[in-house]
Amino acid sequence: MTGTLIELEGLSKTFQRDSNAIMALSPTDLSIKRGEFVALVGPSGCGKSTILNMLAGLLRPSEGRVSYGGEVVNDLNLRVGYMTQKDTLLPWRTVTDNIGSPLELACRKTPKAERLEKIRKMIEFVGLKGFEKHYPGELSGGMRRRVALARMLIYDPETLLMDEPFGALDAQLKLVMHDEIQRIVGGGQKTVLFVTHDLGEAIALADRVVVFSSRPGRIKAIRSVNLPRPRDVFRIRFAPRFTELHEELWDQLKDEVKKGVDT
Amino acid sequence: MFDAQSQKGANERRVVLFWRSTLLLVILGGWELYGRFIDATWFSRPSLIFSRIWTMAGHGLAGHILTTLTEMAGGLMIGVPLGALLGLTLGRLPVTAGVVRPIIFGLYSVPLVTLAPLFIFWFGLDLTPKIVLVAIVTFFLLFFTTFAGVQTIDRELIDNYRLLGATRAELLRKLIAPACLAWILSGLKIALPYSLIAAVVGEMLLARSGLGFLLMFASQQIDMTGMFAALVVLMVAGVMVGESVNLLERHIMRWRLLSV
Repeated sequence: MTGTLIELEGLSKTFQRDSNAIMALSPTDLSIKRGEFVALVGPSGCGKSTILNMLAGLLRPSEGRVSYGGEVVNDLNLRVGYMTQKDTLLPWRTVTDNIGSPLELACRKTPKAERLEKIRKMIEFVGLKGFEKHYPGELSGGMRRRVALARMLIYDPETLLMDEPFGALDAQLKLVMHDEIQRIVGGGQKTVLFVTHDLGEAIALADRVVVFSSRPGRIKAIRSVNLPRPRDVFRIRFAPRFTELHEELWDQLKDEVKKGVDT
Repeated sequence: MFDAQSQKGANERRVVLFWRSTLLLVILGGWELYGRFIDATWFSRPSLIFSRIWTMAGHGLAGHILTTLTEMAGGLMIGVPLGALLGLTLGRLPVTAGVVRPIIFGLYSVPLVTLAPLFIFWFGLDLTPKIVLVAIVTFFLLFFTTFAGVQTIDRELIDNYRLLGATRAELLRKLIAPACLAWILSGLKIALPYSLIAAVVGEMLLARSGLGFLLMFASQQIDMTGMFAALVVLMVAGVMVGESVNLLERHIMRWRLLSV
């Protein structure tokens, strides 16, 4: 873990809807070190996803700036892999072809044999063996998430942006996916920004948890998790540090969740 | 239970088939009797019409059918790919689409038949003006369906593919075009019957062969039997085009089943 990779400086975003200006994110400062796993937690509509979109270069900041690797992001940021909550798999392509699609593009053209070998390894890694020829429509929600994960990991982006990647999964499946994520990125090989509204998920996975207020989003609390790695995601909930952090951050979060529902 | 139902279905089908044939025989029989015993000047009668088709079959009917089919195929081969391609391209260029929109709508609003004389002046009497006519009609149909198809593609899907590092060309080839395939196919489904109409209308205005020419030629001679003979052949051609469309649709359904 050396040096700052991502820097938000006075970053804010205001959306124009009809004649109303809606501020999604009020000016925010945050710096993220290379190799750090940071979870952004907050009620819906607090601008967490907006931060990811600005970091990926899909949205322009209204004010302030976001820099990546020392450079201000003002175009698509191809050094990040982005996994959204929504399914972005191509329905007409098989599991194999979906996972391999980043390697087909001219910017990282890979010879076919090498590509197939990488896909094979990746399919094995995310536990999709036997489903190589299936179409996304034939897979369960959890399997589709794995395909999306594999497609992001196969081209080895430096930073992973994950926007409620497991929001739609049931509690058990979520834990299995957490275990996988933990194996892949737990050792600090990747920088991760993980958006969620599940506080437990945030604490179990992240090095640092950032709690946001309801709209307009503002950082309310930042805590380091300080739980040793590798973590056993199935049992981490019973660790005293987890309970303590969960309680402390939940106190911060609960008022915001209430406010978010009221408005 | 299931057997009883399929039995019921089969019975129903048999009943429908019986009454269908009966109805057809009654219509044809009534027409025949009317023509034979009252007056055949303006309506001819089925026996005359079918024997005329039989005669025509030995005297170049195949050639006329071939002419019309050639015009349809030629026009479709130009209009369909061009329309789909322009729909895909303009679908991704909202500003350009906005600029050319009035031109496209203006051109599309011109009734097709009125263009035919212009094309005859420009392209002569052969197949060319009809091919152009078919091409233009099918071009617009494909353009509009494909353009609409592009608008339905999920924004997030496109953003995600761009973030993977896709160039504009790759985006078009690997995401936009396959995502619109169902739309392009349904555009083709509409375009097929229209291609027959366009070809025949073109032939009716000026031509030396083709089904539209047969119809026009007979009408100029006030040859009712000849006109009805041409209409029956056109009806068969129309039904066959419709059937091929159904086959195509089944193909689309299979694609959708596979992919969703």
